[in-house]
Amino acid sequence: MQPFIQLTKKEIYRFMSIWMQTIIGPVTTAILYQLIFGAQLSKLPTGIAGVSYATYLIPGLIMMQVLLNSFGNGSSSLIQSKYTGNIIFVLMAPISPFLIYCAYLVSSIVRGIIVGFAVFVGIYWFGGCVPKSISSLLFFLIFGSSIAAGMGLIAGIISDKFDQLSGFQSFIIVPLIYLAGIFFNPTSFSGFWQHVAYLNPFLYIIDGFRYGFIAHSSANIEFGVIFVFCLAIVINYIGYMLIKKGIKIKH
Amino acid sequence: MYALEINNVSKSYGTFNALNDISFNVEKGDFFGLLGVNGAGKTSLISSIAGINSFNGTIKVMGHDVINDVVKAKYNLGVVPQELAFDPFLTVYQTLKFQSGLYGITNNKDWIDEVVERVYLKDKINSNTRSLSGGMKRRLMVAQALVHKPPLIILDEPTAGVDVEIRKSLWEFITELHNKGHTILLTTHYLEEVEKLCNKIIMIDKGNIIAKSTKAELISQSSTLPTTVQIETSNGEFSPELEGRVILREGNVFTLKLDNSDQLLPILNLLKLADVKINDIKINHPSLEDIFINYLHR
Ligand SMILES: Nc1ncnc2c1ncn2[C@@H]1O[C@H](COP(=O)(O)OP(=O)(O)OP(=O)(O)O)[C@@H](O)[C@H]1O
Ligand SMILES: [Mg+2]
Repeated sequence: MQPFIQLTKKEIYRFMSIWMQTIIGPVTTAILYQLIFGAQLSKLPTGIAGVSYATYLIPGLIMMQVLLNSFGNGSSSLIQSKYTGNIIFVLMAPISPFLIYCAYLVSSIVRGIIVGFAVFVGIYWFGGCVPKSISSLLFFLIFGSSIAAGMGLIAGIISDKFDQLSGFQSFIIVPLIYLAGIFFNPTSFSGFWQHVAYLNPFLYIIDGFRYGFIAHSSANIEFGVIFVFCLAIVINYIGYMLIKKGIKIKH
Repeated sequence: MYALEINNVSKSYGTFNALNDISFNVEKGDFFGLLGVNGAGKTSLISSIAGINSFNGTIKVMGHDVINDVVKAKYNLGVVPQELAFDPFLTVYQTLKFQSGLYGITNNKDWIDEVVERVYLKDKINSNTRSLSGGMKRRLMVAQALVHKPPLIILDEPTAGVDVEIRKSLWEFITELHNKGHTILLTTHYLEEVEKLCNKIIMIDKGNIIAKSTKAELISQSSTLPTTVQIETSNGEFSPELEGRVILREGNVFTLKLDNSDQLLPILNLLKLADVKINDIKINHPSLEDIFINYLHR
């Protein structure tokens, strides 16, 4: 267990040592969004009784940064280790592929949670958003960030170059997250587009997380729990298999 | 039990065979030299032992199979990889502390301090690894391989890019570890290092073993190799029959080429017949390098 703890600690140290970029940056962005959208669109109806737009926005922005940072951590830590070659020291050490994967996963989730908490502290007072259901909030926080982290790890493993990775991020992850009902209630979309919106897996994470705050969800919350749980298992199983098989890592 | 057992190991990259059915054993206490030209397959073999390459066959480190008993095998093994690698987020000390942690060791500050001193990185101990020179990074990798005091130490060109003086001290350190009972397997292109340090030598070429022997045996074979002898005469006279063998003449010093050392005696007899007075004779024994090249051209 000690090797796993050490690797996890080292990975957490890695992103904490550049906290300006990894923690403060995301908080600043979230505050900007909150200022611009929350203030400018404060009159926009959310379709939910007693919930102002600013309040609606807060959980979405928190989760947005959780997901982006969990993804970013997984992908950048792995690709940097491959690039500088130091992953070899982990591969040569007496630590199983499963625990190697877990260490990278846990540290990415930890980053997501730290960023999420920092963003919460930064923006909650814009809309007075008080958590209503701690259990669903924690569930979607942890499982949601594990999905994004797992996707980041997969992207980090299969990308050979940094530009492939940033393509993956800019063209797939970021659009999916931005369109996952952070800024608009998906029920306000018309027929066809509403169906499209509900195909986005990130929507269920953000919707469920927001449910933790306002006790209201636009998709079925039980379905969200099951879906997010299953997706987390599937994504991380794939990631683990890639590490185990040594895809693009071993020769 | 052997320190390292290599049984029928083959390794291919796609359709290219880098190792063809290699087998040999390294005994405990050996200082083993693995020789071969660029691309011979040395690193492929070491990567297979270290668990960073897939391969066919079986490899055991201190009796532990590197596939089926991987954790125990890894605890017994310390490898200095050939490619320079470092964690740019850590200092020298943090690197070694983390490396120890990967082996479940958390209380080895004294040993880390000692190793750091022996690889001459003491004044860099709190420097970021990014700020180290190439040779310093290499020395840090040597230190990393030693944090858990592995019984089997494998060094893949550990002195590449390391300056002469520190290279010498590094070998003193490795020799000391060898004297303490660690088994060493080494690859290097500096054959003087091998000649001085190793008691057994294996040569591979294009993924095949071309020679496997103790150093003493290899050196004894050297009498069958071409060599040169320098003969200094008192007045510059020489035997006319031997003119054909002279490849260089500098004043009274004649350098002759011999096909092997057995030809020396007849030559001396001819000189005696010609009444040549000899002041000095110097025989140039073939170096390990000559022996190595001879094997390559067989
Ligand atoms: N990842 C790889 N993919 C494809 N071919 C490889 C790979 N690694 C090594 N090879 C090939 O395998 C052969 C053996 O390479 P290896 O690195 O084992 O040689 P080496 O004996 O260590 O050489 P050097 O003295 O240059 O370090 C070479 O022909 C090399 O091109
Ligand atoms: Mg090599």
